[in-house]
Amino acid sequence: MNATMPSPAATARAPILRADNVCKAFTSGTLRTQVLNDLSLSIDPGELTLISGPSGCGKSTLLAILSGLQKVDSGRVHALGSELGQLDLRALERFRLQHTGFVFQGFNLFPALTALEQVELPLNHMGMSKQEARERARRSLEEVGLSHRFKLRPSELSGGEKQRVAIARALAKEPELLFADEPTSALDAANGQTIIDILHTIAHTHGTTVLCVSHDPRLVAHADRVLAMEDGRILSDRRLGAGASKETPP
Amino acid sequence: MVALARKTLVYEWRRFLPAILAVGFAGLLQLLQLALVLGIFGATSVYITGSSGDVWVGFPGTQSVGSGRSIDANVESRILMDPAVTHVEPYEWVDGDWRGAGNTGGVSVFVSGIDTAADGLMFSKVLSPALRARLAEPDAVVVDRADLGKLGVALGGTATINGRRVRVVGVGSGLRGLGGVNVLTSLDTARRLDSDNDDIGPTYLVAKIADPAQAKAVARRLRGSKAFGPYTTWSAADFARISVRYWLFDTGAGAGVLFLAGIVFLVGAVITSQTLVGAVQGSVREYATLNALGVGVGALRKVVLEQAFWVGALGLAGATVLGAFLLLGARAEDVPVTLGPVAALACIALVMGQAAVSGMAAMRSMRRIDPATLLR
Repeated sequence: MNATMPSPAATARAPILRADNVCKAFTSGTLRTQVLNDLSLSIDPGELTLISGPSGCGKSTLLAILSGLQKVDSGRVHALGSELGQLDLRALERFRLQHTGFVFQGFNLFPALTALEQVELPLNHMGMSKQEARERARRSLEEVGLSHRFKLRPSELSGGEKQRVAIARALAKEPELLFADEPTSALDAANGQTIIDILHTIAHTHGTTVLCVSHDPRLVAHADRVLAMEDGRILSDRRLGAGASKETPP
Repeated sequence: MVALARKTLVYEWRRFLPAILAVGFAGLLQLLQLALVLGIFGATSVYITGSSGDVWVGFPGTQSVGSGRSIDANVESRILMDPAVTHVEPYEWVDGDWRGAGNTGGVSVFVSGIDTAADGLMFSKVLSPALRARLAEPDAVVVDRADLGKLGVALGGTATINGRRVRVVGVGSGLRGLGGVNVLTSLDTARRLDSDNDDIGPTYLVAKIADPAQAKAVARRLRGSKAFGPYTTWSAADFARISVRYWLFDTGAGAGVLFLAGIVFLVGAVITSQTLVGAVQGSVREYATLNALGVGVGALRKVVLEQAFWVGALGLAGATVLGAFLLLGARAEDVPVTLGPVAALACIALVMGQAAVSGMAAMRSMRRIDPATLLR
């Protein structure tokens, strides 16, 4: 709610993702660690938002909560008009199937499948025809620059290429929300640069809301908005001109 | 649909091989065990299954072919009165003590005295017409080829049964019995070898009827007359079943077999489920990613079940090929093995059931799939 630090640009559009007074703690034995402490924020559509901060500051937990992978202890999360806390496991799976994409630090590709099949697989479960799924998977792989790698398995791809397949897998679903957790930390500088460029392009050409968690300082320059976190709170909220200089979707 | 289950099975075949081998060998063990048991205990009814009689007549309460008592010879005329019956012949069962020329000591033998006429019913399916004809000679006997060593004789050799001389005029196959050696003779020879003075007539009467499908009904119809002393009737199939069941269950052998089958099933299922659990654990991050993307846990479970199915099917294929070779080998070595379609289907059901149980056990390990663990 009003705990969010409002920025001039954000007020123009309605937030697509909003957290209100979210608290989350983990208990390990007798030790109770408060990870998120009465945190509120709202994310605007069609932007690449970066959440940065030192490890253990709660940024991955925040991502898990905003994407509906984890439940809050108290507070509320609204995504695309639904309150995630009200959805049961089935409904959450359905919500994720229809609206979200994920990119993880580990690429998590099936060793047995080719790049094209990796991207096709989730589309099959969306009730798409075989033809349509294949067509979308092709387009998505072409978009991340892997048109010459359709038939290769993960063992035949470089780290950067694997991450691009993972992005294509998330992108092919044409989600409104794309969550990325440390997508560049397993990659070298050049590959990391490619990945962040792709994420940025996705936000600006598809109007996808990209929420990226990373402690990689190289990413800061490419984000539209950077939220700095520490000890379960948001310390600063900066909007960067460089990233926003490209065209913005309506 | 991307065939994740099958592609993973092919690509990571080394991971699944132990499960396929476990299922295959468990299936092979079940198959051979069943074939052996049916073969060995089937031998207790070779007198019935090797003959073409449709209805058997014997002493009431007889529990197996080998434990019959003599019935009045005049029962034969009662049986012949039935219009459905086309042929009746007596069958003499004599327990004997065989003393051969070789160093074999005494051997317990079951003497079967049969009609040596060309249209004789007894052992018509396992005895060649030439051998049957040779039995008409006085004191002639035929034994199974595989029993010669045990009896300490060679073809043409002589020995004594119950102190009377007999001569081996031929050897057959498929004549082996259980608990003793089967010796085939003519009815006359058998009666001479019978040392029990209380025997008043044949042990059994075996009848052929016009329509074998009516065996049950005819047997029922022939029962109940007491004019010629006590007797009862069975259809051949029923009497064979009674004999096999007697050996299988009243001797404790059946319980042992069932126990062993249970152990084999369990061991195979444990190895298979552990392999499948390993495969699930190996792909747990990929499954979790799919779940994060909204693919339901139910759909992921189906992948594991499908893998279990293929493991079962491949194991079964291996077991079938190996089993066929082993059964043929056993047949060639005169090891009694029998495998009918019902038993084969039971084996298939057992193997696929084992795979299904393993798959379901492995599915339980999918509860650990939590996409939130992918965020660190």
